[in-house]
Amino acid sequence: MYETRQINVSKSQVPKLAIIALGIIFAAGLFVVGFDQGHVFSLVYGEQAFTEMYLHELTHDMRHAAGFPCH
Amino acid sequence: MKSSLFIVIVLLSGAFAGLIHGTVNFAIVEPYLDQAIGIENQNLFESGAEEDSPEFWVEYEGYRTWQKSGQILAGVILGTSVGALFGIVFALSRNALPGNNDVKKSLILAGVMWLTLYIIPFLKYPANPPTVGDGETVVLRSILYLSFIAISGISAIGFYQLSKKLKNNKKLLALVGYGVFISAVFFVMPENPDEITAPMDLVYEFRFMSVLGVTSFWASIGIILGLFWRKLSSQKEIDYS
Repeated sequence: MYETRQINVSKSQVPKLAIIALGIIFAAGLFVVGFDQGHVFSLVYGEQAFTEMYLHELTHDMRHAAGFPCH
Repeated sequence: MKSSLFIVIVLLSGAFAGLIHGTVNFAIVEPYLDQAIGIENQNLFESGAEEDSPEFWVEYEGYRTWQKSGQILAGVILGTSVGALFGIVFALSRNALPGNNDVKKSLILAGVMWLTLYIIPFLKYPANPPTVGDGETVVLRSILYLSFIAISGISAIGFYQLSKKLKNNKKLLALVGYGVFISAVFFVMPENPDEITAPMDLVYEFRFMSVLGVTSFWASIGIILGLFWRKLSSQKEIDYS
């Protein structure tokens, strides 16, 4: 009597949820370092955040060094 | 590999590589930033926009310290962010990547992403130090830069998919296709509208250091994620049903 067993070599079984989570982290991090002009803190501090630009100043040096447009 | 473990090693790899990037920048790019900001200050004094007073320098030291301290933190945030993208692409393309182990596969992918998402866009829109760049055009420049990166990355994937449909000795045609396409985009897209008024020696040296910094990131993430993956992924990826 023969036993038959099917073997499936898995292709990329990357969970969609993990990809979505990493995708969100990618977009959020890129925005904070590359493009924020006060937008993130304005959610808490309102219009003043666009003047203070804490995140812009904090990421300023990396922004220039990594090639993002600045100023 | 479990989803949670996958996410953790991807984020850790990105954070470590970003830490290396930030540290390298701190050592080799910061002197050029200081020099460029020095010229910016001189321009402010000469134009009368600011006065060369002790108050100015107190305020300046305050925000320069904040900016410099952010170099490494921003490196970790940017590294985690770009690392997340790298992790997604690596997980999806690992089986198709050349190389007989995960470190080689990861390094090869890092090299491809370094070239298509950084070097080629950099050749069109190179990094500039402070004093170069008009605040009025920052949105336009951001759109141009991001668009070029997206076009380069998406077309690289498109031509790769095309190569899979071609027979052995025609696969190179896809690579040539990407080269021709991205060259056309390179010449069609508008130039950076800002005029460079800073000394060109400073600008070129800054750009060279900037490339070294970003290259240190891609090399690091290739090695670190590859090592994590080799260590932690299950050896047999076979489902029995």
